[in-house]
Amino acid sequence: MNFVAIFKLTIPVMMGYIPLGMAFGLLLSKLLIPWYYAFFMSVFIFAGSGQFLALTLFASQATILEIGIATFLLNLRHTFYGLSMISAFKDFSWKKHYLIFGLTDETFALLKTSDVPEANREKAYLWITFLNQCYWIIGSVVGALLGNVLPFNYAGIEFSLTALFVVLSIELYKKNRLHKPFFVALIIGLFGMILFPPQKMLILSLCLAAFVLIVFKRSMENGK
Amino acid sequence: MESSYIIGSIIVATLATYATRIIPFLLFRTREPSPLIKYIELNMPLMIMVILVFYALKDVKWEAYPYGLAEIIGVCVAIALHVKFKNALLSIFIATLTYMILIQNVF
Repeated sequence: MNFVAIFKLTIPVMMGYIPLGMAFGLLLSKLLIPWYYAFFMSVFIFAGSGQFLALTLFASQATILEIGIATFLLNLRHTFYGLSMISAFKDFSWKKHYLIFGLTDETFALLKTSDVPEANREKAYLWITFLNQCYWIIGSVVGALLGNVLPFNYAGIEFSLTALFVVLSIELYKKNRLHKPFFVALIIGLFGMILFPPQKMLILSLCLAAFVLIVFKRSMENGK
Repeated sequence: MESSYIIGSIIVATLATYATRIIPFLLFRTREPSPLIKYIELNMPLMIMVILVFYALKDVKWEAYPYGLAEIIGVCVAIALHVKFKNALLSIFIATLTYMILIQNVF
């Protein structure tokens, strides 16, 4: 897979990460935090919702321990992503630590659906992760520095991430041997969106999905 | 806000985030994953992706005008285009454009 093909793969994430990163940077500058902290947070933490949460906690002067616990719980969903990547990363070199570090919702989605020949898979994965992080860093720094003065009305552009998840769901549905998990996830997602509190919706729904997947393994594998 | 507070928080948040991502790799570093883990590995991504769609829609106000109509139309456009043309970039781009036009000019 050449660089152009890899870049094309990441364009939807770019369309989502740059405006979302800008929203993050803008919020950070409104809390009167110097812009370079936006840079450091996006380089080291690199978790969209985690960084927004950190800002909210900054604003309410939460303790550092509280910030650690809240971030851990919010990002616990990433454990499921890692679980799905164990065999994929198994034969990679030490560089896989960057892949693990950079396993955001969107990067996971791209890695899991991209069809890279095994020979250059590690390199392609590294590029995808790195490009995605660059978009996020650029967005957050630009937002922190000049989010207030940009004239372009980009309201709604973050919908590209929703559309990305829709498209990748269809791709995975076509790839997956079993189709029942798809319909179960539809029900759980809908149920979770309506009934679970928004901040906990993702982790609760994922736990429920994992639970149903394991407990009903037999009937999932029956039929199709 | 003190810079030591911000820096300390960034370090802690970094470690907490990284921990959530590395846990499964540490657990299965030496042993071969069991059939159950392989089964989860095969089927969980599809479920995660579907749930992420709903997660992305979690802040929509369904009970007030315009009742999430822009989001529903946007998702339908993405599905229809993707089933018909199988071009991810096209589906995402047109769906996003549709959504932006709807929320900026219609609703």
